[in-house]
Amino acid sequence: MTKKANTLLATNEDTVGPYYPIYFADEMYEDISRIHHGVSVKPEGQAIELTGRLIDHDGNLANGVVMEFWQANAKGVYRTPATVDDPHLDPWFDGFGRVRTADGHYRFRTIMPGAAPGRAPNITITLFSDGISRIVTQVFFEGEAGHQSDPLLVSLPAPERDKLIARKTTTTTGARGSRVYQFDIVMAGKNETPFFDDFES
Amino acid sequence: MATQGRTLPIGPTDNTSEQRTPRARLHLIPTAARASFVPFVPVRGSLRQGETDLTRVTPDRPRAQGTAIEVSGTVRTASGTPVRGGLLEIWNANTFGRYTHIEDCAPDVPIDPNFLGMGRVETDEKGQYCFWTISPGAYLARPDIGRWRPKHIHLSLAGGASRLITQMYFPNEPNNVTDPMAILMGEDFHRNIGVVYQTPERDVDHGYRFDIIVGGRNATFFE
Repeated sequence: MTKKANTLLATNEDTVGPYYPIYFADEMYEDISRIHHGVSVKPEGQAIELTGRLIDHDGNLANGVVMEFWQANAKGVYRTPATVDDPHLDPWFDGFGRVRTADGHYRFRTIMPGAAPGRAPNITITLFSDGISRIVTQVFFEGEAGHQSDPLLVSLPAPERDKLIARKTTTTTGARGSRVYQFDIVMAGKNETPFFDDFES
Repeated sequence: MATQGRTLPIGPTDNTSEQRTPRARLHLIPTAARASFVPFVPVRGSLRQGETDLTRVTPDRPRAQGTAIEVSGTVRTASGTPVRGGLLEIWNANTFGRYTHIEDCAPDVPIDPNFLGMGRVETDEKGQYCFWTISPGAYLARPDIGRWRPKHIHLSLAGGASRLITQMYFPNEPNNVTDPMAILMGEDFHRNIGVVYQTPERDVDHGYRFDIIVGGRNATFFE
């Protein structure tokens, strides 16, 4: 890869290893469907739970993975420096979440993202784990509109697209009646989840 | 501009890397979906008192065993812009090579009752940071083949669109050359090694300068 003049060479990414401190975990990032149990205000939108398994090359659960999530609010707006004046920002929603899975099962609580312009509703998932630096993908939701025309989904070979669709279950949980979506991530090998090149693309 | 994504390399003699590294070539992100892949991490104050000094569990407790060191540097993007108010999370093994993490069950490697080994610091207006810790011990990562992990400090940086998880290594360590991740970095490995400096009149033995450059398109997306 050619480097532009005046570009500093980046510090190498390295594996997070097996011992990312659970001590740093923050409940506010694990359930972004609400602010706090003691607070009456909350984000707009349908509360959902995204749940599933992280699976390795041999079909075993992958423990100790740090997962980060990034999504638009219910109106399809991401909170970034580019949207500070957007009237559709949700004051109670940043769109960033993080969970660490102890045993390979994960559960992330959020709201159903709205469709950003030209896109189907989705959540970006970044994985940090022992043995790898990081890998990224996006998850879409069964039953939501726009999958046929989403530029990311249509860029993939047809058999790969289904691997990025979380399945809607009939389960609801919690006081807010969260809808539960099931999404397994296969990190390597047979039925491997499609991952994307965030650095080089 | 790349026409196809990378195939990620597998760390040699690293079993977890074999199990978890995707085999398929990474897919390129179409331009129309590019912006959605750039998380912007909100700044939230959650630091606790004394967290920048890992050499003590709390400021009123005794020093941990081993050599107290300072680690400092600046955090910038590849275009040189300081990463201000970035959250740096730090964790390292104690002087014997043992973490206090609940899943580190290394037999026969002692815990130091005065060392937690986890801390946090925010970068200032110039992107600078500084913390104290105990120089970590190397540890036997693969007893079956006798491979050690070299001394290292884990660092996780989150600030705006800049996101980096890395490790700072130490100069002239014999285990550096056999480390799977160092092998993958190849000639770039030297950039992940701290540079020694003296610390007169400060209550640490010596320091390491470790400047961090957050690269890739994400880091500069909103510049």
